[in-house]
Amino acid sequence: MNAPLYLNEVISVHTSLFVAIGIGVLFGFVLERAGFGDSRNLTSIFYFRDMRVLRVMFSALVTAMLGLVILNRVGLFDYSMLLDYSLLKTYLWPQLVGGILFGLGFVIGGYCPGTAVVGVASGKIDSIVFLIGMIVGIDIFALGMPLWGSFYKSSDMGRVTLWQYFGTSMETMAGIITIAALCAFVLAWLAEKWAPYDK
Amino acid sequence: MSASDYAKGYWNPFLAGIALGLVLLLTFFIMGTGLGASGAIARTAAVLPHTFIPEAVEHNQYFKVFYKTGASYPLIDWMVFEVIGVFFGGLIGVITAKRFKLSIGKGATFPAINRLLLAFLGGIIGGIGTRFAMGCTSGQALSGGATMVLGSWIFMMTVFATAFVAAYFVRKEWQ
Repeated sequence: MNAPLYLNEVISVHTSLFVAIGIGVLFGFVLERAGFGDSRNLTSIFYFRDMRVLRVMFSALVTAMLGLVILNRVGLFDYSMLLDYSLLKTYLWPQLVGGILFGLGFVIGGYCPGTAVVGVASGKIDSIVFLIGMIVGIDIFALGMPLWGSFYKSSDMGRVTLWQYFGTSMETMAGIITIAALCAFVLAWLAEKWAPYDK
Repeated sequence: MSASDYAKGYWNPFLAGIALGLVLLLTFFIMGTGLGASGAIARTAAVLPHTFIPEAVEHNQYFKVFYKTGASYPLIDWMVFEVIGVFFGGLIGVITAKRFKLSIGKGATFPAINRLLLAFLGGIIGGIGTRFAMGCTSGQALSGGATMVLGSWIFMMTVFATAFVAAYFVRKEWQ
């Protein structure tokens, strides 16, 4: 097996664009079924009303993470290709600042980019306005490049994973994250009982 | 948990999560990269002004990579096609569940116009955030998170920590 297929040139760029549409349809369908086409279901987590976002995200993350580790272990997937070629790079400070801005945008705007697209398909007017805002925001970012262009590319740590950073193995790190996710599910359940905003 | 009407009729969140995880796993298996969304919006944010001010966009420090010689049209791109798929996948989901409804998602008593203004403002702030972070919930938090990327975990934790604190100040928007 030559997975990942695209990086190993098993499928062409042309084919990959058809794959993109198919993957996107599955992605959009599941996001809709998760309830993520409605900003109220996405922001409920921040008021401890419904921790659905945490449950969906962490179970998805753990499923894919364990799947990749297992497929790598049994020789059906070459994880080293990700480490060498395709893994996202870490830019410490820009990603921290980006995270703060994105977190503000999420709770004020009610969506993140992917869910807003499902919101549009659901007829949610606020999601259309949010997406227009995003386009304006990205254009503001592009215009401001002379100001923050050097910061944007600063603290480049390259392709680095948590297990490399903490000096452990891929399998151990995946185990720790899985346990952390299970703990988060228990905390989420307790947080809903607490529901501080709805007393 | 308050069982509000808007929260009813969806999949069990753990099952939805596992389904989403399998889609993500399939994406990595085929492509070697994960899912994404904001990258497609960034390309749209380049193409729209390009219609009116092509020179400025092509020479912009951030957008010029989309227009380098030999590159295809900026919207002929994996993530753009994926996001078009997301729209149709969402549409199939909405139609088969009979959930399509023109409406505004907001707290029951919050004025609609204020909600739309905040959606616009949140979009602007979040949009700038996606560029500094080089991704969003899909590309960084979910895909980078599943591949245990350091920067993606930092991003994810910062997003949620910020949003939990900021939530207090916009609580009326969602109450």
